[in-house]
Amino acid sequence: MTRFATGWAIFQGLLIEALPFLLLGVSIAGLARWLVPQSTWIKRLPRHPLLAPVVGALLGFALPACECGNVPVARRLLASGAPLGTGFGFLFAAPVLNPIVLASTWAAFPDKTWLLWGRPIGAFLIAIALSALLGLLPESRLLASALLEERRLSQPLSRVGLLERRSGLVGVDFNASERRLEEVPLRPAELLQHSTREFLSLLTLLVFGCALAAAVQTWLPRSWLLALGSGPTVSVLALMLLALVVSVCSSVDAFLALGFAAQVTPGALLAFLLLGPVVDLKLAGLFTVLLSTRAIAITAVAASLLVLLIGQWVNLVLL
Amino acid sequence: MSARLDLLLNAVFHPVVAIAGVVLMVLGAIQLRSAPRLKTPLTPLSWLVSVAVALLVLLFPPSPSFSDLAANRSEILPEAPRLSFFLPPEQRTLTEWVRLLRSQPDPDLHAGDPVRISGFVLQRPGMQPQLARLTVRCCLADATPAGLPIEWPANADPKPDEWLSIEGTMTTQTKDGLLINVVKPRTIQSIPRPERPLEP
Repeated sequence: MTRFATGWAIFQGLLIEALPFLLLGVSIAGLARWLVPQSTWIKRLPRHPLLAPVVGALLGFALPACECGNVPVARRLLASGAPLGTGFGFLFAAPVLNPIVLASTWAAFPDKTWLLWGRPIGAFLIAIALSALLGLLPESRLLASALLEERRLSQPLSRVGLLERRSGLVGVDFNASERRLEEVPLRPAELLQHSTREFLSLLTLLVFGCALAAAVQTWLPRSWLLALGSGPTVSVLALMLLALVVSVCSSVDAFLALGFAAQVTPGALLAFLLLGPVVDLKLAGLFTVLLSTRAIAITAVAASLLVLLIGQWVNLVLL
Repeated sequence: MSARLDLLLNAVFHPVVAIAGVVLMVLGAIQLRSAPRLKTPLTPLSWLVSVAVALLVLLFPPSPSFSDLAANRSEILPEAPRLSFFLPPEQRTLTEWVRLLRSQPDPDLHAGDPVRISGFVLQRPGMQPQLARLTVRCCLADATPAGLPIEWPANADPKPDEWLSIEGTMTTQTKDGLLINVVKPRTIQSIPRPERPLEP
């Protein structure tokens, strides 16, 4: 019974900690939807397979949010017709490439310059590699179906036919209708309704993720994972598992890592800080509004492999 | 409400959470007022889950067993927020003592120092009960215990999670062939759980 009470407290702590950041992310997405008309600058973003994720990753500086906050923003980007590479670059890199997270990493490890550079560069590389990998899949198999339909509405008819789009105006000059759609700004009341619905559905997923993370934290002894902290490969794997399970926001995970920085290899530490923002138990639930199940599985496996490789290389160099 | 937050999160995050809470309540009020004009209904599942969780969180305050939590965690502490070894011994808190003892490996250095600490009783399976505190950087998820071994007098019966205030002296003892620091209490007092049980 006490175990359950402790688990309930950890769940509440995780949930309440993540809530403000989720709210921030949904607000930023809502602001973006209001201030930016559906198609102007988003469609002018580069589509080049290498340049698109870079641009997406850099967008993280303009829209600071931790990993739970950037899912609604990424969804908004993709729904508005941004190139896939940009959306994924933002989704995977923005949790690290933003001023708040960089500042917290610096606050926790002011003396580890290799980490202060390694974290953003590693996040960049992972984002580019993941978006290149996911770009190999066709859009219809990649994105969640609701997002796919919304996205198709903002793509030109030349690329997506009426049947695929499942809506549209037949017998009307397309250019004229598109211009009319663009000119109607969203009323604040509708925007609020939209954002609230988005927030609530994301909150549901966050609740499930936090519950799972709290359950594993309470019933799985952490000493098991940390006892493996000294082997060069085993430590990386152990800390990757810890990152998946602990699921704290990327804006504070640097402080969590500080707690065991002395006991683990440098590669393992970097692996913890790189994998957490990209995929963890809490995020896996949030991703379902963006990606299909197959894409989530591919992301998880590919990200883990990449982080394992990076961790081992760092250990090779630094140990 | 802030008492519950003190149990869950580092004090630094309280304002952030408070602001988020206020914003959410304002948004909720606006939504309720315009409910009759709602055109599209929210999906029932997300409504149900959110309301259920909100009610549960409000009705069932967190009452974690610190001892249980701490028994499951490793003991590697984050860095201290301020320099502590310039403080006279009787002003050092429990966490400061633990950090000090870990950074200076010679136990005899502190033998004879007066000790005035408070914490909860931490019972790790198979070990003597210690007096401990939890330090957090973010929230309960990363709480790390800092514990001091106590030479409990014969008639003492420390129960796990009991909060005690102990005054005594720091002594040394040989345990398993190693010299370690142990607190020899002069007075042991039961205290209510402090307002801010989680230390930065």
